[in-house]
Amino acid sequence: MPTNRLLEKEKVATYASVLLEAAQEAGGQDAVLEIRDQAEQILRIMRTNMDLQSALTDSTYTPEQRATIARGVFASCNSVLTEVLAVMAERGDIELLTRVWNAYCEQLQEKLNVNVVDVTTVVELDDHLREVIKKKAEADLGTNVVLRERVDTSLLGGILMSVGGKRIDASVVSQLENARIVLKQTMDGGEC
Amino acid sequence: MKAGAKRFAARLGALLAVAGSATFMFPAFAFASEESGGIDAILPKMDEFIPMLIAFIVLWIILAKFGWPVFNGMLEKRETNIRENLEKAEAARIESERVLQEYRKQLDEAKAQSAQIVAEAKKTGEAVKADMTEKAQAEAAAIIEKARAAIEAEKKAAISELQGSVADISISVASRVIGSDLSDEEHRKIVERYVNEAGSFNAD
Repeated sequence: MPTNRLLEKEKVATYASVLLEAAQEAGGQDAVLEIRDQAEQILRIMRTNMDLQSALTDSTYTPEQRATIARGVFASCNSVLTEVLAVMAERGDIELLTRVWNAYCEQLQEKLNVNVVDVTTVVELDDHLREVIKKKAEADLGTNVVLRERVDTSLLGGILMSVGGKRIDASVVSQLENARIVLKQTMDGGEC
Repeated sequence: MKAGAKRFAARLGALLAVAGSATFMFPAFAFASEESGGIDAILPKMDEFIPMLIAFIVLWIILAKFGWPVFNGMLEKRETNIRENLEKAEAARIESERVLQEYRKQLDEAKAQSAQIVAEAKKTGEAVKADMTEKAQAEAAAIIEKARAAIEAEKKAAISELQGSVADISISVASRVIGSDLSDEEHRKIVERYVNEAGSFNAD
């Protein structure tokens, strides 16, 4: 008899594959990537918005009411994602969304041979830089790469790349932070 | 005393015996006064002499029988008493000398003991004094060492804080300089250089 953990794992994999296949069917790779980005944003919002999270998991609402709430809140998202979220809310599985998103990214890599690399810089990338970064990421990961660009001036300079839990931090702010640590440690050990 | 009394009794007995014997051996001398003057004047008359002699003998016998033993007993008792007293006096003297010796001995011991006690007290006092001095010195040294360590720690903390502040200020200044002074193109060049120099996603 399968345990709850195995059941949940199967459930997560099913949600992720349904989402991926429906997205691919609806709009190809662009839709797949769009849904990935939108799901990531939804996760970020749900982490900070407890009211939304409790509304979607509240057992005092009927399943239909939870599905209606999900459809209303995520109406502006891709219709495939909206429907899947509504089903998850209806069945009380919205807490699995993080795992579903991770499984979705894994299946995206396995089935489409694509990795989405989040790139954060201080200035907008030009085509040359995109090409350089893409080539490096493809060489490292051995798959096709799609860049998701973000501008964050708090980096001060340099670049921050992450994919599937892996991360390359070549930002100036982290280098300065390292320098600060090294400087303090060196000074602590030295004579005045 | 007893021997002297016996000797005296024996001599007195002998004298009386000689007198009696002479009277009985030479009765002419006893009756001489009746026959002639001269010497007769000093010789006893027999009619007086015999009764006197008898009375004397009777008296002597009575005295020898009853008086002399009492007298001798008194003498012996007195002799015994004096001898006992002398013995007691001698014993008391010996005892007093023994006691005196004992007291002297005890006094000497007490003196020696008191001297020893004083010496020990002095020694103990010296030891206590030395111990207290040593402890005081150790405590003083510990306090000085503690104070020195505290000062050193404070000094290190102050230096560390100062150096940390210097590091923070330096980094802050560097951040501002980098953030404000670099153009977009310079930022892109830095990104390219970092991408080429950065490690791999596959690196641990």
